[in-house]
Amino acid sequence: MAESSNSDANSRKRRKIDPDSQTRWRSEAEQRIYSSKLMDALHHVRRPGSGGHDAVRDAADRVLAASARGRTRWSRAILTNRLSLRLAQINRKHKKAAKPSAGKSCSRKPAKKLPPVESKVKVLSRLVPGCRKVSLPNLLEETTDYIAALEMQVKAMTFLTGLLNAGAAAPA
Amino acid sequence: MEKEGNASNLFSSSSDLNCRLFRPNWENSVDQNDPFESALSSMVSSPTASHNNNGDNIVLRELIGRLGSICNSGEISPFNNNSANTSCYSTPLNSPPNLNLMRESGSNQFLSLPTFSPDPAFPERAARFSCFANTNFGGLSEIPPKLDPTKIPPPSVQENWESIPAPEKNFMASRSSTPDNAADSRENSTVSEQIPIPENGANPRKRKSAPKGKGKDTAVANVSASENSESSGKRSKSEEEKANQKASKDNSKLPEPPKDYIHVRARRGQATDAHSLAERVRREKISERMKVLQDLVPGCNKVTGKAVMLDEIINYVQSLQRQVEFLSMKLTTVNPRMDFNMEALMSKDMFQSRGSMYPSDGYPFQSPCGNEAPFPPSHGRNQRPQMENFADAASQVSSFWEDDLHSIVQMGFGQGQMQNFQGILPTSQMKVEL
Repeated sequence: MAESSNSDANSRKRRKIDPDSQTRWRSEAEQRIYSSKLMDALHHVRRPGSGGHDAVRDAADRVLAASARGRTRWSRAILTNRLSLRLAQINRKHKKAAKPSAGKSCSRKPAKKLPPVESKVKVLSRLVPGCRKVSLPNLLEETTDYIAALEMQVKAMTFLTGLLNAGAAAPA
Repeated sequence: MEKEGNASNLFSSSSDLNCRLFRPNWENSVDQNDPFESALSSMVSSPTASHNNNGDNIVLRELIGRLGSICNSGEISPFNNNSANTSCYSTPLNSPPNLNLMRESGSNQFLSLPTFSPDPAFPERAARFSCFANTNFGGLSEIPPKLDPTKIPPPSVQENWESIPAPEKNFMASRSSTPDNAADSRENSTVSEQIPIPENGANPRKRKSAPKGKGKDTAVANVSASENSESSGKRSKSEEEKANQKASKDNSKLPEPPKDYIHVRARRGQATDAHSLAERVRREKISERMKVLQDLVPGCNKVTGKAVMLDEIINYVQSLQRQVEFLSMKLTTVNPRMDFNMEALMSKDMFQSRGSMYPSDGYPFQSPCGNEAPFPPSHGRNQRPQMENFADAASQVSSFWEDDLHSIVQMGFGQGQMQNFQGILPTSQMKVEL
């Protein structure tokens, strides 16, 4: 990766995630680590009782974000979101009773932006967690890492489901 | 052995006695602990009487010897004397246009040194890459007699490096002090990086191999930085611009030499005010990241343009997220079964028939139906043949559920990963295209 080594030399001050993203998320070791951590998390989720499919998904995302070791914006956003989400839900319940319409309309009518690139960038920024107000180059960087991480997550979860299915089905 | 094989190739391909004279020394020296020093000593000890400036040449040869011993690749390709040496570039990094560009850029740089007859850029390139072609020794006969081919270290050079000794001399004379040392140290650092890769220095005739690609980038950047450090002023900068412009066709990062803050050099014919420079930097950053994304997102090779690329990226991210959601739903359905069956697993026979898998296989696919309808059937079809692998691994260990699951995971990854994931991902492809 000559390109990444050059970019490393160029910007030593900034933390660099480019050289890591592809190699990091694609290594088998990382996948194994993720799978094992996910299994632990799933067991913790299972025990208290069924929390619905979202609980598993949140657990998976959390473990994924933890594997990123805080170097990327989206991972930090995922980890902090769970704390703020509860508060937001509580607040929303209160506010919903009081102001059903006004709050939403104010927030949902930004200035119209014609450039299609701009609107797509916004959509993308909404997709990647925690990247709403990030500049385009950083957003693309985060997206790169996020896509690599998601791919690994899909692989690991597929493997786990297969494993569990087989494990559950065989002795049955 | 590789050495002998290459030696035979060498002898068959080139007709230069000088090489043959030199090779034994080279090979012997390589066997020693320190190939560089010994190579150097062997080179120096070879007949150098005819050469005038021994001191300079020794320094040069030391440099070239060090760098040349790196360029060991197992392949030797027969070179023609004055050909563009397309044959020596069989690795993707070593394309002839690269070297031609460097040659031109080098020739631009060394305008002040007109004594370089064939290739004024040579010493710079020699210092950087220093893979020396063996057939060039044959071509050396054209060179004025003061150029003693035997002085040239055996490591092979890509192209017409006939002018090795003379330009080296002048090169060293003109750039004697700090830039040379700086370049030296940097090149030595790149050298030292390359050392582990081609360890057997037995092959002096090396093509410019993978080290070149990396060495070129850093070396050119280093040269540009060292050029900056020199007080050669505008001339070198303008030449550097041209050099960078041409070299930047290969590597768009060249205009940004490795310094504390980002230096952007205005290319020829472009605006130079601060705003446009900053804009250019930003645009280059964006485009380079889009390229990375293009490689990451499948099916984006033909797509050009930001808007369409962004569309593809958005689609891909959405599909990945949907997949994660679907898989999490599957996991929730699978997990309670595992919990219920924990004790049952322990007691029952592990090695049940695989046919029993199939009816139970249909179960998880029906539960998370709904909007994922197109996904599960194909998903199931792909997964079923692969379940058997999991059954083998999992059935043995499912009795020791928690403890050994990690080991299963590790074990199963090796065998299951290829098949299972390839089965899954194509289905995700289907979704994307829809």
